[in-house]
Amino acid sequence: MSMSTAVEINELVKVFGEVRALDSLSFQIRKGEIYGLIGPNGAGKTTALRITSTLLLPTSGTVKVFGHDVIDEASEVRRLITYLPEEAGAYKNLSGYEYLAFMIKFTAKNKETVKETVEVAAKISGLEERLKDKVKTYSKGMKRRLLVARALMTKPKLSVLDEPTSGLDVLHSVHVRGIIKQYVEKQGVTVLLSSHNMLEVEHLCDRVALINKGKIVAEGSPAELKTRYDSANLEEAFAKVVGFV
Amino acid sequence: MFKGLFNIIVKEVKELVRDPKILLGMIIVPLIMFPLMGFAIQTSMEAAEESMGSISMAVMDLDKGPVAENLTNFLATLNIRIVEVDDLNLTEAVNYVEQSNLTGLIVIPPSFSDNITDGLKAELDVYTVFRGAGIAESTSSSAISALLKTFEEYLVVQKVGEKFPEEDPKTILDPIELAEKSIIKGKDVNIPPEVLFGLMMSQSLGMPIGIMMLLIFAMQLAATSVASEKEEKTLETLLTLPVNRFTILVGKLTGSIIVAVVGAVAYIVGFSYYMGSFAGVMPAGTGVDLAAIGLAPTPISYLLLGASLFMSLLSALALAISISIFAEDVRGAQALVGPLSILLIFPMIFTMFTDIYALPFPLMIVLLAIPFTHPMLAARAAFTGDYLTAIIGIVYVSIFTIAVLYIAARLFGTEKILTARLKFRRFRLRKSK
Repeated sequence: MSMSTAVEINELVKVFGEVRALDSLSFQIRKGEIYGLIGPNGAGKTTALRITSTLLLPTSGTVKVFGHDVIDEASEVRRLITYLPEEAGAYKNLSGYEYLAFMIKFTAKNKETVKETVEVAAKISGLEERLKDKVKTYSKGMKRRLLVARALMTKPKLSVLDEPTSGLDVLHSVHVRGIIKQYVEKQGVTVLLSSHNMLEVEHLCDRVALINKGKIVAEGSPAELKTRYDSANLEEAFAKVVGFV
Repeated sequence: MFKGLFNIIVKEVKELVRDPKILLGMIIVPLIMFPLMGFAIQTSMEAAEESMGSISMAVMDLDKGPVAENLTNFLATLNIRIVEVDDLNLTEAVNYVEQSNLTGLIVIPPSFSDNITDGLKAELDVYTVFRGAGIAESTSSSAISALLKTFEEYLVVQKVGEKFPEEDPKTILDPIELAEKSIIKGKDVNIPPEVLFGLMMSQSLGMPIGIMMLLIFAMQLAATSVASEKEEKTLETLLTLPVNRFTILVGKLTGSIIVAVVGAVAYIVGFSYYMGSFAGVMPAGTGVDLAAIGLAPTPISYLLLGASLFMSLLSALALAISISIFAEDVRGAQALVGPLSILLIFPMIFTMFTDIYALPFPLMIVLLAIPFTHPMLAARAAFTGDYLTAIIGIVYVSIFTIAVLYIAARLFGTEKILTARLKFRRFRLRKSK
């Protein structure tokens, strides 16, 4: 694993009963880049992200995050990452502030750090005063902004974001994409994200992997992929790769 | 290893206590419901007592003999208001009693005094007005019966005294006096065993109920605590935090214990108030000091009871968490954990009403195999000073707890916590037919 590699996935296989969710998946993510996994439902995107986040165990193959194996050094990996699941929720009976403080206290050294980090999250999310209210009073968009802010506020080395704008309206989606783009550029965080939304991927990602039936079928920057498959956008490129058109 | 534990406990307690269902069901309702029930019972009892103090009877004396006069005077000396209705016929008298709000009517038939004087059976007609099925009604009517019975005993003593003027009539009627004593820990104590049993029951009855309630609360909370993480989609985030999985498990257990203890205290406070509402109308205690005769718990007994209770609590919670991992939401978790309450109700009933060691052998073994029987046995042993029973129970429950905790930790430490699901496919198919 080279010094510039953040994530290295080799021949990753995951089998659930009779379903082969990942089939010899391999790719690498460079430090500081936003890497996107694109594919249809059931392609294996979430499974790959969950294994990278130490939630699931691989059936075979290896996953290393900044040189740490996700099986043998799971606790090391957890110190370096944050994970935003697709349908993640927040503790509804806590206020937004309490929720963020709860999350940061596992890594913060003192109360000042907690306060400063929560202030950062307040700015990232744009929730400001609403952080005093209980999470159960938030709209879906506000909750997602809170969760994205939670995933980025600690300046993790790797942030794993599963469908970061899932279920959001246009305005909230634009806001969340803006947060990710600006914050990552400023802080040098590496991001691994998955999405159905090709527009989002084109806008955010430095490189993408097109994944189908648990395998990577194409990889490159959005511009490279469009050129390679002579397509106007990534959606068209993906359809050509999987033989849909 | 336990870095971040306090943070998790605080979060758990906040989440549970702020949940309206838990706050209302476990803390507020017992604190309001039981005192309200107590207040209602106390008010009825007081009304009954008041009605006892104001019994008024109509008396139709058709005899006019000395014994009839004696009876009327006897009732009057007991503060019963007597209304004479000698000049009315029975139908008129009954109507009058009903309309005048009197308690009842006593009809003393002709020859009542003569029959008693001649040693023949005399008849006395007592009519009580039935106005409803309240406590006051039944207490008034039984009070009249009791008073007439006392008058009858007075007549018997008088009669025996006339026949045997040289002897004490009470000795003739009740020739043997039982002096019942008890043997406690090799010493004889001048207290009848049923009095001791009653005292022990009254002091130890609440304990199994309290223990059962605490364990049921705790199990439901622990199950809710894990299942709500799944339902609210917070579990995955929690499991990727830089904190040991065992610490998360311990945090959840501790949070549930804290809230369960608060819930149990609320329940016991409410229940005590409810029980206290009977105090005014129940007969007073016999003044027996259990500590003086060696039947009160010692500090060691309390310590052993505490240890037994703590281990049982831990095992109940670990069991609930292990099972709730297989549920997808809170309702599913509560449905899975609910049947476990049988393991608590069963031992509670047996320890409350019988000696487990006197039961048929297979039943005794089944009960002793249930870990939650042991804190209830320890509660009883606390009064008798049977430390060995408590210690054996603690050892057994500890082994059980370690095993269940190990299973819970294993489930928490692997991907099972995310992927485990109980399937009810067959059940659903059958149901849909």
